[in-house]
Amino acid sequence: MAVESDVLDELRGLRNRVPQLTGSLAATVDGLVLAHDAPGTEPEGLAALTAAALGVAHRMADATGRGGFRELLLRGTDGYVATYAAGPAVVLTLLADGRVNVGRLHLEGRRSGARIGELVGAHIGRDGVGTASAERVVTPAPEAGRPIGTLPVRTPQRPAHLPSPQAGGHRRPT
Amino acid sequence: MANLETSLKECLSAIDGASAAALVDYTSGMALGTLGGSKEFNLEVAAAGNTDVVRAKLRTMELLGLKEEIEDILITLNSQYHLIRLLKGRGGNGLFLYLVLDASRANLAMARHQLRRIESELEV
Repeated sequence: MAVESDVLDELRGLRNRVPQLTGSLAATVDGLVLAHDAPGTEPEGLAALTAAALGVAHRMADATGRGGFRELLLRGTDGYVATYAAGPAVVLTLLADGRVNVGRLHLEGRRSGARIGELVGAHIGRDGVGTASAERVVTPAPEAGRPIGTLPVRTPQRPAHLPSPQAGGHRRPT
Repeated sequence: MANLETSLKECLSAIDGASAAALVDYTSGMALGTLGGSKEFNLEVAAAGNTDVVRAKLRTMELLGLKEEIEDILITLNSQYHLIRLLKGRGGNGLFLYLVLDASRANLAMARHQLRRIESELEV
């Protein structure tokens, strides 16, 4: 359970370091919210959209031979949405306004992504759920501690591909 | 007129004591080109950080009502000089050249003079 609060601490720290950040969200690649710090947005919807974008991004990377998923940047007229891989089964989505220092956003986003990946990886290891390999898909951990009624309404389809930021890559879950 | 690669190379070869150079877009904080640097001295980090320096100065000038332009910014460390030179005209708006100098080997006046020349010849 502690992993959600650790991830939330990381998200809050990130918002302190990058003042132009308007929101952040850690979600599993299949669209379930792990932790969020995004006032004024609906985290479940954002997590679901992130999963959808990841699916397209991964197919695009595959089709063009660019390797595993690392990050995704979208620029609108009023700001940015950036998604960074955080371990094999989690991604970090950041919302920033148009004045943000994108170089800085990338540096902090990649660092936080790696940190969240470690937190989630350690959590899986400790629970003994995926001891065989940390590359196993995270079974949506938030579900157990979440009161009924606050669950994401969507039952997402697991994407065929998962982001793999580490050089070693990973096996697809069967 | 020189292109980006040539200009960065010239920064390191023509300016005594120069160890790293970058051309940075301060609207985004990302480097358009880097040369030199090392694992310990990450120029991507320097580009993002110095973007905040330039933005802070521009904002301060705006608050003070100064209708001037920044020519360059000098940062003096114990053993290094960091020079930031903003590009003027020809689509160079929103860009700066960033140069790292070894204080014991560099001639500051000469470095500024050379950097001004390289900047004026740079075509982005």
